[in-house]
Amino acid sequence: MSAENQQLVNVVIDGKAIQAPPSLSVIQALWHAGYPRVKGVGCLEGVCGSCRVLVRREGQEKVGMELGCQTLVEEGMQVLFLVFPNPTHHHYELGEIKNSWDVQAEFHRIFPEANSCRHCGGCYSACPKNINVELGVKLAGEGRFREAGELFVECIMCNLCMTGCPEAIAPNHVGLFARRVTAYFHARPSNLIHRLELLRKGELEVDCNSPGSQPDNAAN
Amino acid sequence: MTVSNGTPYSEALSAYQASAARPLKPAGDDTQTLLEQYHPDYRADTLDTIKVGPNSGDRCHRQLAELLQADARIDEADLAGAPVVKTDVLVIGGGGAGCAAALVARQAGAEVILATKLRLGDSNTVMAEGGIQASIEKSDTPQMHFDDTLKAGHFNAERELVAAMVKDGPDVIRWLIQQGMQFDLDEFGDLLTRRAGGTSANRVCYYRDYTGLEMMRVLREAVQNSDIDVWDYSPAVELLANESGHCAGAVLSNLKNCSYVQVVAKTVIIATGGIGRMHLNGFPTSNHFGATGDGLILAYRLGAKLRELDSFQYHPTGLAWPQHLAGSLITEGVRSAGTWLLNGHGERFIDELLPRDVVAAAILRECAEGRGITIEDGVCGVWLDTPGLELRNPGILQQRFPKLLNLGKKAGIDPSRSPLLIYPTLHYQNGGVVIDANGATTVPGLYCVGEASGGIHGKNRIMGNALLEIISFGRRAGEHAAAQRHNKGHKQVGLEHLSRLRRELTISGMPMERKSPMLFPDCAKFDDDADYDGLRRHRRNKVTQE
Amino acid sequence: MSQLNQVLLHESNRVGADLEAWFAAAGGQGLAKALAAPEAIIPLIREAGLRGLGGSGFPTYKKWGFVAAQSNSKEKYLICNGNEDEPGTFKDRILLQQAPHQVIEGATITALACGINHIIFYINPDQQKSIEAMREAVSQWQASEQIAAIEKVLGKTIEYRVLPSSGHYIGGEETAAIESVEGKFPFPRGKPPFPAESGVHGCPTLINNMETLSNVPHILRNGAEWFQGLGLGASTGTKIYCLTGDVLYPGAYELPMGTPLSTLINDYGGGMLLDKKLKAVFTGGPSNTLLTPKDLDVPLDYESVRERQSSLGTGAMIVISEGTGIVKRVSEYVSFFAHSSCGQCPPCKTGTHYAALLLSKIDTGQGSRADLDALENLCTILPGAGRCHMLDGALKVMESSLYHFRHEYEQALVL
Ligand SMILES: Cc1cc2nc3c(=O)[nH]c(=O)nc-3n(C[C@H](O)[C@H](O)[C@H](O)COP(=O)(O)OP(=O)(O)OC[C@H]3O[C@@H](n4cnc5c(N)ncnc54)[C@H](O)[C@@H]3O)c2cc1C
Ligand code: SF4
Ligand code: SF4
Repeated sequence: MSAENQQLVNVVIDGKAIQAPPSLSVIQALWHAGYPRVKGVGCLEGVCGSCRVLVRREGQEKVGMELGCQTLVEEGMQVLFLVFPNPTHHHYELGEIKNSWDVQAEFHRIFPEANSCRHCGGCYSACPKNINVELGVKLAGEGRFREAGELFVECIMCNLCMTGCPEAIAPNHVGLFARRVTAYFHARPSNLIHRLELLRKGELEVDCNSPGSQPDNAAN
Repeated sequence: MTVSNGTPYSEALSAYQASAARPLKPAGDDTQTLLEQYHPDYRADTLDTIKVGPNSGDRCHRQLAELLQADARIDEADLAGAPVVKTDVLVIGGGGAGCAAALVARQAGAEVILATKLRLGDSNTVMAEGGIQASIEKSDTPQMHFDDTLKAGHFNAERELVAAMVKDGPDVIRWLIQQGMQFDLDEFGDLLTRRAGGTSANRVCYYRDYTGLEMMRVLREAVQNSDIDVWDYSPAVELLANESGHCAGAVLSNLKNCSYVQVVAKTVIIATGGIGRMHLNGFPTSNHFGATGDGLILAYRLGAKLRELDSFQYHPTGLAWPQHLAGSLITEGVRSAGTWLLNGHGERFIDELLPRDVVAAAILRECAEGRGITIEDGVCGVWLDTPGLELRNPGILQQRFPKLLNLGKKAGIDPSRSPLLIYPTLHYQNGGVVIDANGATTVPGLYCVGEASGGIHGKNRIMGNALLEIISFGRRAGEHAAAQRHNKGHKQVGLEHLSRLRRELTISGMPMERKSPMLFPDCAKFDDDADYDGLRRHRRNKVTQE
Repeated sequence: MSQLNQVLLHESNRVGADLEAWFAAAGGQGLAKALAAPEAIIPLIREAGLRGLGGSGFPTYKKWGFVAAQSNSKEKYLICNGNEDEPGTFKDRILLQQAPHQVIEGATITALACGINHIIFYINPDQQKSIEAMREAVSQWQASEQIAAIEKVLGKTIEYRVLPSSGHYIGGEETAAIESVEGKFPFPRGKPPFPAESGVHGCPTLINNMETLSNVPHILRNGAEWFQGLGLGASTGTKIYCLTGDVLYPGAYELPMGTPLSTLINDYGGGMLLDKKLKAVFTGGPSNTLLTPKDLDVPLDYESVRERQSSLGTGAMIVISEGTGIVKRVSEYVSFFAHSSCGQCPPCKTGTHYAALLLSKIDTGQGSRADLDALENLCTILPGAGRCHMLDGALKVMESSLYHFRHEYEQALVL
């Protein structure tokens, strides 16, 4: 096995003192040591936001929040998985917003707390994707949804900013709202609309036995 | 895969130098021989003939066959005291297909429960980068999309299904926009498109490198904001059948309190995704943690027919090293841009732009014949010559492949200065459960959509068709399943089919030790529900070292 | 019972916002001495052994000395801290409502000692009565002829201000109070710089608790020896203990510093309610290690309580009897902290949030061994991860309850 050739490091993960080769992520290290682990494991590629962990590195006061599949074990590291549900308390359906002129008003109705941001910056320091969450909340509050949404392009909805927010603003859902209304109200691609129109008129039928779909014509 | 000694990593790395010109080694074998000798699908020793169930006599990958013909995880006795919950539609799986089906079914007026193994959205969908196919450009037609899909699938796809899907394409994009999904647009607000390998027109719509992420977070939000009842950490472990053998619900394992729940439903939609985490033939995978093919097993036990059980896609460029990122996908775009593949001797050994299966086979050949690069016992690969690409096109990595640079950062390797070690990665399940244009399987009351279903891609899939398929058929199945909610209820609901299974397994002399569905990959060391908490070190963990 | 309410809560001092009555009750005498010899104040306070009664127990003369020594700034601030928001603590509001002039005179003497010209009474906005009483009392002072004398000795004009705090628990932290006074959200700042050097608007700033300041006029009037003599053993002065929980007579009792816990509970609190057995005492914030029946003999002064690995804190004693669930209590307190975390330090906010979830899960009979495990692991990984002491306080309560009452947690587990 690949593990042999490497010097093992000592880490404590979820209170379990284990040894693992430094090429492993903290999730893999747990598996390696023989502990089953399925809670808080998802895509294993850093995009699903499942594997949130608290990490304290040796000799440091600071405790960071990271993604377990992206964090390699280091000597003396302490790790704790943050597995708890993050129900959102905001409910809305895009269809309820009848008129795009009302978006800002609707936003404040749906997210009444967004105005009470105390600018603690907790959301920003908690974000494993280094998104300027605080600014996003501010822009959304000002109705600048497109700009706000742009900040959240890489948001993986790990909800760390949400638990971190002392005003219960749910900043990531604010960001997603900003993104969704931008698409819902402003994306009107004419090439798509034209194609839908042709399909509606029945001008683009599909022949299931078309010449282009026969094995003998496959060469071209 | 057998690996003879190749060049050690450090030696190969110090010998490596980026160079602007490298001639292609003349091809030895023809591609057919190459595939037959080295592509995993063609390796006779990995195939088996199915003995039990509706696909008896068909060829199937050995590991999948073992699971299809394994004993169930539960017994009737396990259901003692298990609560019964009733609903109209039960959707199993919380990826793109499951969410689309649930949303549409709910909107059509059905009561919906969506049960998923991990959290909602922990799926292959969230990882998709490239984009989604839909014929919308002037230079394109649904017919061309149809022809391309059939051709790529070696004419094994179901024509009726492909026709339905390609015609849905533009409306799928509209529906996604209406859910609040963004796409990359040009200066006039038109959808931007790009071309997928092996297709005849620009047809892939996308959102940056994050198409799947954008799709998934929008659909997840839409589901969570609806009246759909979402149950996370609740994998389906078995389907329920009624007195006529129709599907009548499922048994879910509630991992959070270690108990079973029976959901009795008018209709069930399976949307459990792919099989990457079965690690067929020991391959690494690009798939998410829950891609263990559960839906195939569940459907098969109830009598649903499956297809193309011997056809899987191995993506040529999976990261081979470092270990914690092994299997991670490097997008095809990097090769399309002109990046070379080099073996341990620094030679190009294949035209990098050939179809995925051919390139993957060639990489496997290099490793098998000692021309690979070995880093540790068991880890072998070839170079992806990104510094060479950068040398010929200064700045291209930064400009076009930020996500690759990001991956490099996580790996501690700078792709613009050092080549990446790559190896084929198990990527996609081409076949699956047989369905019709409504997503209905051969078992009444049971639907199947998304990667778990079969027939749309034949024996090979083009990039972007998977994301289209999951929404197209997800919506179709959701609509159709919801319409069945006025059917009479089931008279009797139970696990009769398991007795049949056990009888057949015994008669065919199959081993009964193995249980399925597997739910979690072997590496996670999950044996039974009590392991959800991960507190005790496992009995099963043999110390493999020393 | 002659030991009860000898000084701060003495009947004669509780005259409300009535300056004449306060002077009639021997108020003003301390101030007169201070005006006569301002340079003698700090040595006197030192000799008396007065300490920070808001929780720190830090020698008061030292704090004053730092501020007094800052000679290059004309503007200096005194924040009289009455943010008092922690469960089980309610002494400041009594002092403010019933003896506002005691505090004002104490603050004035302090200002004279340190050359301070801005005095801010920083009061929890939920204590409307305290704010009203203080507003009234302050306006009486400002109209009195004392001010001229004070300003003459001080060499500058003096400002008195009553400022409702933001009502956040965290606003009671020194540096957070400074932010608040500056009109900002009360985020605790990092130290250094220490407030004594750079506090409100960068000026030297002194922060004292209301109880500490209330003692000052009496020390000036009666001398250091008198003050020392009030305490039991090596302790000096008195302490207002806020006794709550399962006792017959809960309330605020001013007693000699160093009064044993058992005396407080039995002689003043009337013993345990329904004669139940004592189970534990949450002290201070409640953010300290629990005291248990074996600690009944502990003299309630800073050193003695510290020897039991706990802390006297604000002097709040929340008494729990057999029959009260420790898990439930800890759960309540930790969710209070989770609510109060200011948000600046994600490990604090998220850590206390997670802990509160786990505790309430366990308390409501839905907890698993993994939850208990996670709770313990939080206690190991988090200490020191916050900028102020709130996180550590919350962890201490959890940790000590886990240490002393593990069986209760275990019993509550279902899986
Ligand atoms: C790295 C990567 C990149 C890709 N890029 C593209 C691309 O660019 N374009 C494209 O078209 N396609 C792409 N694909 C393929 C595409 O993403 C998937 O095929 C598609 O998203 C599958 O969707 P799905 O809903 O069927 O399954 P998934 O999204 O995988 O969802 C399945 C869900 O079912 C759940 N589940 C599994 N078992 C059970 C059970 N027993 N009980 C309950 N729930 C269960 C899972 O947890 C998961 O939530 C890519 C795939 C990968 C892995
Ligand atoms: S914005 Fe919030 S939810 Fe999104 S990645 Fe950052 S911390 Fe996670
Ligand atoms: S965590 Fe909340 S309050 Fe703090 S800056 Fe972010 S959005 Fe504002």
